[in-house]
Amino acid sequence: MKKNFIILNVNEEERELYVYPHRSLLDTVRDELQLTGSKKGCDEGDCGACTMFLDGNPVTSCMVLAVDAAGRRITTIEGLSNGTKLSPVQQAFVEHGAVQCGFCIPGLIMSGTALLTRNPNPTEEEIRMAISGNICRCTGYTKVVEAIQAAAASYSR
Amino acid sequence: MATTYAVVGKRVPRVDAVDKATGRSIYGSDIYLPGMLHCKILSSTQAHAKIKKIDFSKALAVPGVKSIITAADVPDIMYGTVGNIRDRSFMARDRVRFIGEPVAAVAAIDEDVAEYAVSLIEVEYEPLPAVFDVLEAMKEGAPLVHEKLQEYEGSTGLRKGNICSLLTATRGDMDAGLSEADFIVEGTYRSQPINQGYMEPMACAAEVEPSGRVTIWTTTQAPYAIRNTIAETLQLPMNRVKVIPLEIGGGFGAKLRVSFEAFCVILSQKTGRPVKMISSREENFTAIGPRLECVATIKTGVKKDGTITARQVHAVYDTGAYLGPGVGAGVGHSTGPYRVPNFKAESYAVYTNKIWAGSYRASGVADMVFAVESHMDEVAACIGMDPFDFRLKNILEEGDRSLTGEVIPTMGLREMGEAAKTGSNWNTRKQEDGWGIGVAFSDWKSGTGASTATVSLNEDGTVSVLTGTVDIAGSDTSLSQIVAETIGVPFEKVVMAKKDTDAAPFNGPTGGSRVIYSAGRTVLQAAQDAKEKVLRLAADVLEANQDDLEVVNERVQVKGSPDKGRSLAEIARLSSSSKYGSIMGQAALSQLPFAPIYNAVVVEIKVDKETGMIKVLNFTQSQDLGFAINPNSVEGQMEGGAVQAIGRALYENFIFDKGKPVNPSLTTYLLPLALDVPPMSTIMIESVSKEGAFGAKAVAEPPGFGAPAAIANALYNATGIRIRDLPLSPDKVRAALKAKQSGS
Ligand code: FES
Ligand code: FES
Repeated sequence: MKKNFIILNVNEEERELYVYPHRSLLDTVRDELQLTGSKKGCDEGDCGACTMFLDGNPVTSCMVLAVDAAGRRITTIEGLSNGTKLSPVQQAFVEHGAVQCGFCIPGLIMSGTALLTRNPNPTEEEIRMAISGNICRCTGYTKVVEAIQAAAASYSR
Repeated sequence: MATTYAVVGKRVPRVDAVDKATGRSIYGSDIYLPGMLHCKILSSTQAHAKIKKIDFSKALAVPGVKSIITAADVPDIMYGTVGNIRDRSFMARDRVRFIGEPVAAVAAIDEDVAEYAVSLIEVEYEPLPAVFDVLEAMKEGAPLVHEKLQEYEGSTGLRKGNICSLLTATRGDMDAGLSEADFIVEGTYRSQPINQGYMEPMACAAEVEPSGRVTIWTTTQAPYAIRNTIAETLQLPMNRVKVIPLEIGGGFGAKLRVSFEAFCVILSQKTGRPVKMISSREENFTAIGPRLECVATIKTGVKKDGTITARQVHAVYDTGAYLGPGVGAGVGHSTGPYRVPNFKAESYAVYTNKIWAGSYRASGVADMVFAVESHMDEVAACIGMDPFDFRLKNILEEGDRSLTGEVIPTMGLREMGEAAKTGSNWNTRKQEDGWGIGVAFSDWKSGTGASTATVSLNEDGTVSVLTGTVDIAGSDTSLSQIVAETIGVPFEKVVMAKKDTDAAPFNGPTGGSRVIYSAGRTVLQAAQDAKEKVLRLAADVLEANQDDLEVVNERVQVKGSPDKGRSLAEIARLSSSSKYGSIMGQAALSQLPFAPIYNAVVVEIKVDKETGMIKVLNFTQSQDLGFAINPNSVEGQMEGGAVQAIGRALYENFIFDKGKPVNPSLTTYLLPLALDVPPMSTIMIESVSKEGAFGAKAVAEPPGFGAPAAIANALYNATGIRIRDLPLSPDKVRAALKAKQSGS
């Protein structure tokens, strides 16, 4: 099997890579770029821990081939904060006690961010819907929903 | 008389929250070592078979494959899951006993190559008769899972056929108790296999230095248990095995013991390179022990006025291919938090040809809470008493003794129960069709066991804490709060050291709700010791009496004359040249007194009689937890536990077909999603314990207990049908409703 040459645009940086055609975007970003904030909970599209943005839209990156992401705008959890300044959703997760083991949290923050970008004033039901592709085994979601609600204030302003 | 504290009792953000929210925390799978190889496992396709031959010549010939190991490469030393019977080894030797049991492991330059090599390994099996149902396995003449059971080291209550453990307890006079009763109620309750569902699959790496020193990076609740098991079974001195626990992406008991670490160690010994293993989600169903089913029969004698006179319990735990934990709960948790004057219980662990039973949230207890609390409602119904009143009538009272004779501190039990009643809609029932409400009580001992801590004061007045206790549920934050409060510094001035098994002496695992109670008390004592040393030196420096000193705003000063003092930083700087040496407090504790915690859940549901679907409308829980060091963490634990229990009540079910896992994926094994979660209300009852830091007891386990029974009871309340086996799935509800209709 031959590797393909691709250029990935991750968090506004261009990276040149040789990857096998079957490599997922998740594995490539983690193993080749050492951006390990995106997590692999299942590798089957079920858990949402690997959620990234592709041209601004949330995707489960374990289900996307790296070669198909070439030339598109990829944002990972590492790209959400500005230096050491947390994004509003990250900040709200920290303040509202929404983080427990944390393994699902990057994915949940990506899904929450995607929702608020699209809909700065979501109802509780809409929040629950938006994160229904993200499994969290620790929190029971209550504080996660509260955090996203709280972050909404800084989007709707 | 509420005491006011500066740091404990406050909702401070978790110390690790920013790292986790930015993706910077390092979990097991995030370790990358220079030159590392990747490990993949070949597992058994047979439920019970002799291994005739393993041929890995083709696999070894694949370019990039560096080493392949089988049982022949693992020292023939057995170990036990519970510590009492040594019935297992890391890799199947001669015989496989469950589908998924590791048979060989490959190290290769990348995961793809390793996986390809695994697919080329040929194993010749000779199938043996197998047994899958736990009650069948108990019968005389059932195929034996362990032929040499009698020869294993370690002790258990009974070894007979496939029975590998038996625990019993008696109190009073069973016959007299039953004859005193006006009614005798009996029921058999069955709980289902459950996967822990932690989000982070097992991952680890190992590197063996040329000197033989081993370093293991892993995701674990119990770094010392990993060190000890690896050292014992691979015949290495303990001080040559260093376990570095990384962030844990959820454990819930599953990460209390070795997973794949031994394979990485042996492969690293063979190749001289670091070896990493990231398991697949499927392997976390098929190779890491879940909970298996429990069948419990309970018989209770009761008087017309609702007094329980006697109870007899027969519990059978399926322990799969190797003995796991949990069987003790069949005895210890079969009375519930109630007075049972005459009591007899037997609890069996029985082998079957399924994956071994592992730990999950107080293993075995949840099964008994489902049985006992469903049964309590059946007894209440039999005598026509309100289920809540029936419980409150029989709860333990101050001075009652446990089965082992200790006085049970009931503390906030009654208050906790009353709060659940008044805090829920128990007294304001809806008359809607399909609406129902149910309750369940439960109890748990705050976990104890070894903990150690050192607390040092640095030369700038900051504080560093070292314990070997790993953090899952926010304990580093709560422990920092305890230290800050004790010494008298702001929370931000305390840092928990990164730990490994070389740095700190033995600590028990993070499990069984033991950290806040036991490790909390330990860091409290170490902080007190450090403070004592600060005051001792300050007394010399200030030429004052030690008892006249206090710490205010990070300064040691003479009470009443605040200008006479020194900052903590100054004291720390002076200490290193003082006759006492640097300021370091320490503590090591083992057992702490029995400090039970109590929980009640009240659940409102709506049953759709067409589809059989149960929707949980409202979830109220009340818990006596001593004192909430960090209310955010406490609520988070209670909410999280409750949601797991809802999943277990309604749909979680790890299904086997002749020992083969049918749904080993998150597509088919359903975990609760955000949309499934009802509004939650959590009531914290603070009846402070004498032993815990600032009165804290435990939190985590009981919130995961009550929901299945409470929902089964609500279903009965709504429809009059009683389902005694979990989960309460729509098909069972529909069938029961239909049977009830045609029956009446
Ligand atoms: S890892 Fe991609 S959805 Fe689970
Ligand atoms: S915080 Fe552990 S899975 Fe969500």
